Amino acid sequence: MNQISPGAMLNSLWTHRGIVWLLGKRDVQSKYKGSFAGLLWAFINPLLMLLIYTFVFAVIFKARWHGQIGDSRAQFALVMFVGVIIHGLFAEMINRAPGIIFENTNYVTKVVFPLETLPVISLGSALFHCLASVCVLLVGLLICNGGLHWQAVFFPLVLAPLLVMAIGIAWILAALGVFIRDLKQTTSFVTTAMLFLSPVFYPQSAWPEKYQQLFMLNPLTFIMEQSRQVLIWGKLPDFTGLAVYLVIASGVACIGFAVFQKMRKGFADVL
Amino acid sequence: MSSEKSTVPSPDVVIDVSGLGKFYEIYADPKDRLKQFVLPALDRVLGGEAKHYYREFWALRDVSFSVRRGETVGIIGRNGSGKSTLLQLVCGTLSPSVGEVKTKGRIAALLELGSGFNPEFTGKENVMLSGALFGLTAEQMEERYPDIVEFSGIADFIDQPVKTYSSGMVVRLAFSVIAHVDADILVVDEALSVGDAYFTQKCMRFLRSFMKRGTLLFCSHDMGAVINLCERAIWLDKGDLRMNGAPKELSQAYLASLFEPEASGAPVEIANSGSNEVEGGAERPPSAVDAFVEIPPIEYVDMRKALIDASNLRNDIEVFQFDENRASFGTGAAKITAVQLLDAGGHPVNWAVGGQEVTLQIAVRTKTEIHRPIVGFVVKDKLGQIIFADNTYLSQRDTEMKVPPETTLVASFNFTFPVLPGGEYSISPAVAEGTQADHVQHQWIHDALILHVQSSSVCLGLFGVPMRSIEMEMKL
Repeated sequence: MNQISPGAMLNSLWTHRGIVWLLGKRDVQSKYKGSFAGLLWAFINPLLMLLIYTFVFAVIFKARWHGQIGDSRAQFALVMFVGVIIHGLFAEMINRAPGIIFENTNYVTKVVFPLETLPVISLGSALFHCLASVCVLLVGLLICNGGLHWQAVFFPLVLAPLLVMAIGIAWILAALGVFIRDLKQTTSFVTTAMLFLSPVFYPQSAWPEKYQQLFMLNPLTFIMEQSRQVLIWGKLPDFTGLAVYLVIASGVACIGFAVFQKMRKGFADVL
Repeated sequence: MSSEKSTVPSPDVVIDVSGLGKFYEIYADPKDRLKQFVLPALDRVLGGEAKHYYREFWALRDVSFSVRRGETVGIIGRNGSGKSTLLQLVCGTLSPSVGEVKTKGRIAALLELGSGFNPEFTGKENVMLSGALFGLTAEQMEERYPDIVEFSGIADFIDQPVKTYSSGMVVRLAFSVIAHVDADILVVDEALSVGDAYFTQKCMRFLRSFMKRGTLLFCSHDMGAVINLCERAIWLDKGDLRMNGAPKELSQAYLASLFEPEASGAPVEIANSGSNEVEGGAERPPSAVDAFVEIPPIEYVDMRKALIDASNLRNDIEVFQFDENRASFGTGAAKITAVQLLDAGGHPVNWAVGGQEVTLQIAVRTKTEIHRPIVGFVVKDKLGQIIFADNTYLSQRDTEMKVPPETTLVASFNFTFPVLPGGEYSISPAVAEGTQADHVQHQWIHDALILHVQSSSVCLGLFGVPMRSIEMEMKL
């Protein structure tokens, strides 16, 4: 049961797809349960945020995207919003991961539960919020630019490697979080730092030349840039780069899974 | 269900535990946990000797046994003897420190009270989720869902979050789920004490029918339940396996151990509590004692009866209304229409006192003609053990009674109600046709009448035997 091989990882994900779907759906629903607007909030929130970004950056800062000439006032906000969405997806996963076993103590001590699916479930609900924001983004682009680039169909392809990377990191954090309770404090700092150290408010090119290599170590940098390529600028993604990223991400996921499965034996003793 | 045991490992073994041990690391200070996390690894890298920063606590040590398909095994032991740890290791929620557990087939467990329910989810969501955890598909669960709700008897609350449930409701639902997932091995950890009498009886019936096809691992510190249900028992004592064998012999050894000098205070305490009943009586006002002296010696009356009846040890038995909608079986050719308990004066009572004369009346309405009817009843305790039972067969043997259709038949049993230990009991009435050995059951209602015994002078055993005299003297 506690095999750590990549094969076991894929097998577990497939076997437990029913549970992932059930709990993922539940996770999203519970967030909005009881509110009048219900699931609409998943769309209202990003919409309001986008409006605020537009106001602050376009009206107050009169910001222009570095090196690009955007005519529309809302352009900067939209370009930035792509970064915000991707960061939001990653941050939600990473912030939840260290506490995810604690929140489900019952599943550790009372029943035999496929614990490795817990981070996958949080990925599912983060992905849902991400897609809701993307819908808002697409509507925004449609209004501002009067149309969408056909290259936008590649967006899921650009996003996929990041999901693999995020799940790998989440597995490691979830397992460590059980033993090191300080991790939860650390991740919220790290994700906030990443908001500013990723090309969210500025393009990759704005980063000093000699630190560019360092900048690419940030797992969000490449994905944000590629997402803008397909969604905003209407260019084809860097397929080779994505393939390389996916290989690295798969490595991280396999290691993450192995670490998680190795450490889960100790969960019940600590909780 | 063969009771033969062989030492040769057979393919029939479904639970194989070998050299199993579990220890916990006890840290005096949270800082030690961090030290343990970092320093031993560092020591090893530096080539030094790794040092422990914790105290080892062995919850279970070197336990080996195996359980074959279809066996029912009870695990007994005092609190903290490692029963729950063992069950958790068998279920796989804990992983062993040493040794291993091998299991075959689907295990369904009812561990502790909580079960694995998520309190935020509704009953239905939890049922579906549990089903998925047991490897059932969503379609299979949809199919069984109505049965599960029916069994649990909490249909009105099934769409409410589980956090709003009472602990009894949670156990009902949890038990209903594990009863419907086609488990091969069932692990039950004294969760049954929570439900009410009706539900406990239902669970016992389910367990008894489950025992015919599946393997049951049952944990309790109630020896009676273990003797009654299990073919074999395992006795754990402070994490060690003390004994593994027939429940009867084991129970004697177990009970003897409770009086072992190890807990030197124990025997004295028990002796005290036994004599307290008498002593407590002696301290009462003389009038009570006088009454007890004056009572003429009637046969089958406990000499302490008047004393006990006047004290708070009086065996009050609360009788709940007959419920004809309880689960029943039979051909339906006759129907039980009323069951009631009458006092010596012939008045229906909902309050009886153990040791007093009562009449149990069972009324039956026939649908078709019935020859040689037999009306009987069974009194069971909350574990489903039959305390006593009787029927009209022997007394009516020589009369060829013929009951025409649409006739009411009333059977009355006049007896001295036994003094029972506190708890819940049920009376299941039945009507049949034929002889003791060969009969057709027309209707048998499970637990039609519930009796609640409030307090009791009985401290051990299934019922109290009237003591005609008790003497104690000092021989010099």
